[in-house]
Amino acid sequence: MSGAGVRIGAVVRKEFIHVGRDPRLLAVVLIMPIIQLLLFAYAISFDVRHLPTVVVDLDHTPDSAAYLRAYEASGLFDVVGHGADPTAVDTAFDRNEAQVAVIVPAGFAASLARGEQAQVGVLVDGSEPNSARVAQTYSMALNQLYGRALAVEWASTQGVDLGQIGLVEPRLRTWYNPDRASSIFLVPGLMVVIIMIVTAQQTAVTLVREREQGTAEQLMVSPLRRIELMVGKLTPWVIMAFLDIVVIAVLGVVLFGVPMRGDPVALAVGATLFVASCLGIGLIVSAVAPSLDTANMAAFLVAFLPAFLLSGFAFALDQIPPVLEWISRLFPARYMVTISRSVLLKGAGFPEVWPQVAALAAYALISLLIAVRLHGRRA
Amino acid sequence: MTREGEVHGIPADPSAAISVRGLTKTFGNFTAVDGIDLDVPRGQVFGFLGPNGSGKTTTIRILTGTSAPRRGQALVLGEDVVAHPERVRPRIGYMSQKFALFEDLTVDENLRFYAGVYALDPAVFAARRRYILEMADLQGRERELTRNLSVGWRQRLALGTATIHEPALFFLDAPTSGVDPVARRQFWDLLYELAGRGVTLFVTTHYMEEASHCHRLAFIYRGRIVAEGSPSEIRANLSTQRVYDVTVRDADLALSWLETADGIAEAYLSGAALHAVIDRGVDRGAGALRDRLVAAGFADAVVVSVEPTIEDVFVNLVSRERGA
Ligand SMILES: Nc1ncnc2c1ncn2[C@@H]1O[C@H](COP(=O)(O)OP(=O)(O)OP(=O)(O)O)[C@@H](O)[C@H]1O
Ligand SMILES: [Mg+2]
Repeated sequence: MSGAGVRIGAVVRKEFIHVGRDPRLLAVVLIMPIIQLLLFAYAISFDVRHLPTVVVDLDHTPDSAAYLRAYEASGLFDVVGHGADPTAVDTAFDRNEAQVAVIVPAGFAASLARGEQAQVGVLVDGSEPNSARVAQTYSMALNQLYGRALAVEWASTQGVDLGQIGLVEPRLRTWYNPDRASSIFLVPGLMVVIIMIVTAQQTAVTLVREREQGTAEQLMVSPLRRIELMVGKLTPWVIMAFLDIVVIAVLGVVLFGVPMRGDPVALAVGATLFVASCLGIGLIVSAVAPSLDTANMAAFLVAFLPAFLLSGFAFALDQIPPVLEWISRLFPARYMVTISRSVLLKGAGFPEVWPQVAALAAYALISLLIAVRLHGRRA
Repeated sequence: MTREGEVHGIPADPSAAISVRGLTKTFGNFTAVDGIDLDVPRGQVFGFLGPNGSGKTTTIRILTGTSAPRRGQALVLGEDVVAHPERVRPRIGYMSQKFALFEDLTVDENLRFYAGVYALDPAVFAARRRYILEMADLQGRERELTRNLSVGWRQRLALGTATIHEPALFFLDAPTSGVDPVARRQFWDLLYELAGRGVTLFVTTHYMEEASHCHRLAFIYRGRIVAEGSPSEIRANLSTQRVYDVTVRDADLALSWLETADGIAEAYLSGAALHAVIDRGVDRGAGALRDRLVAAGFADAVVVSVEPTIEDVFVNLVSRERGA
């Protein structure tokens, strides 16, 4: 082995010993992913409004048009498109243009006229957990209201007992997540949060700790180069991050039945670029933080919070205030959440997620360049 | 004694362990090291002394290649350390007062880590490990966590790890601060042992009594070298003055009296006692000083003439610099 290899190996081994000796750290790395997975398996519902909705009217009658207008009028749904046939739904969901689709099948008006149950299809993009659940509740409520209105109108003209008539019955289907098992949505997002904590947070802290102990000063006088120290210290965290990805994925597939429909290569490339971005962030924090406490706090602010709140993991990004939505673009987590959800749940590959992959590539490059500059300057 | 500038013109000496010319380091407007010249012969214990903030650590950082000077030349083991720190690093060692051990690693794991950092051969490492464990008296405690060792042991282990690669030149920055006098003495014994094997030691310290352990001394004050030479040469600085040791119950009050009294060049605390320095021209002996103290109300004063210590010299040098 070359000198550099021996030196980096010594750092990697030492780093693993640190982790092994620190039960709290061990818990963060190994147990937290599992706890979080279970904790968020039953996510709390958040207030959702203005769900982007695409409507498909196959009945082309005044009744069907009136029914669809009720969605728009409710303020809960924003009709962003009118599709000619059901394939439009797929397209809109794939492009993340809509989260809800309402399809009025042919014969809707005729069924109502006959006093039978009229059927409509409400499709919900299951890869957005909160929106999916809330959209379902809203459309049910809406249909009940509308159904009653229809019934009243019909009854008043025909003079028939209200209890006997057919109502509009929404047939809800969650397009990408047919059983709407909530954990499925959480698995891809959780992966992102965990990677962010394990890499960005630990990277920030581990280098500052070395500085605070005075060991960094000692090592600077040794043949160990700065870059070797960094590589050696970061390697274990990268390994552990990927280990966590595997653990979460396996748990997701085995316990919660995550389908893993898409291109694993796209996911792996995305994850690698994302890890690189996180290392960049962590390194920048470690370069500017004067103390361990500051590093911890800063890492929490730039790694954990955005990954948790501004990534689409806990709150759908189109449901948060525009300012926060804009801020979320400054952190890599949201791009990775989109990639992992698209690949794991929607069967996406590079053609669908290339914008996010490109964003992460740019992010990784820029953050690592800044980090290297900052660390070089400290000498 | 060599005042700054006197060796200017004499080029840096590549055969010396350290040879420095006109070394300057600034932080913004502040000059931490101000054009110093130094020559440290090989195989010597070189003491680098000075009060807090005088520029000792800054100088060591430059000499170990971790900080770039504003100006000046620094040859370390014959190499230009500013241009090529990587050529110097495998042959130097460094130990700061922080010991720089990983406290959550065992004795053995610390040794192994530094062996890896210096890419030591397994056979060499085995021999060094045996030697260090014996030197630090840590045999049988290899698997103990460093955190659980007491300060003295930790310090010896730090010495062992910092010299695991058998450096030719070893920098020690205040290695004994915060260590009790007994452990300090033991530590110096180990340093002598190193020196005995031909290692050059460059030691900074606050403890003036440690100065007499060194072959040569340099005294830095406000970034300038104000005195340099062997301990006896340094002491000769005070040949025109006499030093009296004054023991008195109310030392604080006596000190303020001495500081303002006529004919007293210098007065300061030295351990539990006071030292008063009097120019030989106006000196009238210990008895005369005692009489004056008694007359001033310090009836219990005991005055003894003493040999000037290194500390006495430095206190005087500093006050001369301040006056200048
Ligand atoms: N990175 C820095 N930025 C600004 N000023 C600095 C820096 N490093 C040191 N100094 C200043 O330079 C001066 C010399 O500091 P240095 O650490 O070399 O002193 P020292 O002799 O080692 O002191 P001590 O005995 O307390 O360790 C001090 O006034 C210090 O405040
Ligand atoms: Mg210092």
